[in-house]
Amino acid sequence: MSRALIILTAALGIAVSGTPALAQTPPPEQCPAQIQAGAAAALPGSRLIDCRREKSDTRKIDGQVLAGTILGFHARVALADGRIVMLELSPDGKVVGMTDGHGDLVGSSGKGTALLFWAFALASVVGALFVVTRRNLIAAVMGMVGSFLGISAIYMMLYAQFLAVIQMLVYAGAIMVLFVFVVMILNRPEDEPVAPTGRVGQVLGGVAILYLVGRLVLILVQVEPPNPVVAMAAPLATAEGYDWGSLRAVGTNLFGPGLFPFEAISIMLLIAVVGAIAIARPLHAEDDAPAKVRSGGRVP
Amino acid sequence: MSGLAWNIGYGHFLVLAAVLFLIGMAGVLVRRNALIILMSVELMLNAANVTLLAFSRMWGDLSAHTFALIVIGVAAAEAAVGLAIVVAVFRGRHNVEVDRLNTLRH
Repeated sequence: MSRALIILTAALGIAVSGTPALAQTPPPEQCPAQIQAGAAAALPGSRLIDCRREKSDTRKIDGQVLAGTILGFHARVALADGRIVMLELSPDGKVVGMTDGHGDLVGSSGKGTALLFWAFALASVVGALFVVTRRNLIAAVMGMVGSFLGISAIYMMLYAQFLAVIQMLVYAGAIMVLFVFVVMILNRPEDEPVAPTGRVGQVLGGVAILYLVGRLVLILVQVEPPNPVVAMAAPLATAEGYDWGSLRAVGTNLFGPGLFPFEAISIMLLIAVVGAIAIARPLHAEDDAPAKVRSGGRVP
Repeated sequence: MSGLAWNIGYGHFLVLAAVLFLIGMAGVLVRRNALIILMSVELMLNAANVTLLAFSRMWGDLSAHTFALIVIGVAAAEAAVGLAIVVAVFRGRHNVEVDRLNTLRH
């Protein structure tokens, strides 16, 4: 008890030295002393607002009740300059993470993260440029695959693990294979130049695209995150562990609020499958003959 | 400048999505091959997905993940129908250059 008091007074002393006006408000009752001490040690001059105990669910398995264990504490702390951050603390008061109110770590992304971002951004942009500029269709498709893989890594950096995997499976796997099949059925390289004819058209198109790039980038650069101290970092742990963007989290959302779009898209996919077969089927048997002759003449 | 290069924030992801979207749009506008146009549309859908996920992280709202999943489904359906149309057009006309598909023009 006396030890706890000493820690408490020490924490208060730090708080007083930082912000004298705030020292009158007593620290909240429900915060254990080690949490207050840990928060005060991590952020001198800050004030503890409240804290919340993170407990795993109490479960019942085969009639036996498994009591939840304390995973740690989340403490809201007001900094000296008025910002409010969330501290994530282990049960013994060690600071595990610091996030802003929206669950983003405060601080800057590491250099490794930055290097990875630039590498994958470069891969996706170069792949996209390949698609737009190559005359060879297979080269364009391969550039598209590279672009999709880069984008899936970008998804991963946004903590959308499930969608990153889906991106690889659906796009780089399924859709691109479909494209390759069609390219091989068509078997005709594009003969004509990429750019529109005429110097005036080129200049106009270039200026228009540059203008659009500039406008979009200018708008997006102005987007303010909810909290200016936000940077890219890991989301907070929930009672189920780190559950942001996982299959479970996305599934819970998909089959809750997203149930209607989910059902609608299943009908849409069915219609698309039937429609694709109906469109691609030859109307008459003899319609198919010239195409066969033609591709037969091209393929040795 | 070094802060911009090393401190990756949401703006980086949004600008990357904008660049990808514009490359896709340039492909749709400039290329004549229907296949390349379809691929460029897929690229634009992907750029929209990156934007969705960046905003999802920014606001701590998971419903954008659901929406991105649905966008992927729509893109798959669009690719299937689009490629079917390309195959049907090729069967009748033996080319897929959109400039030459002008029979409906009068």
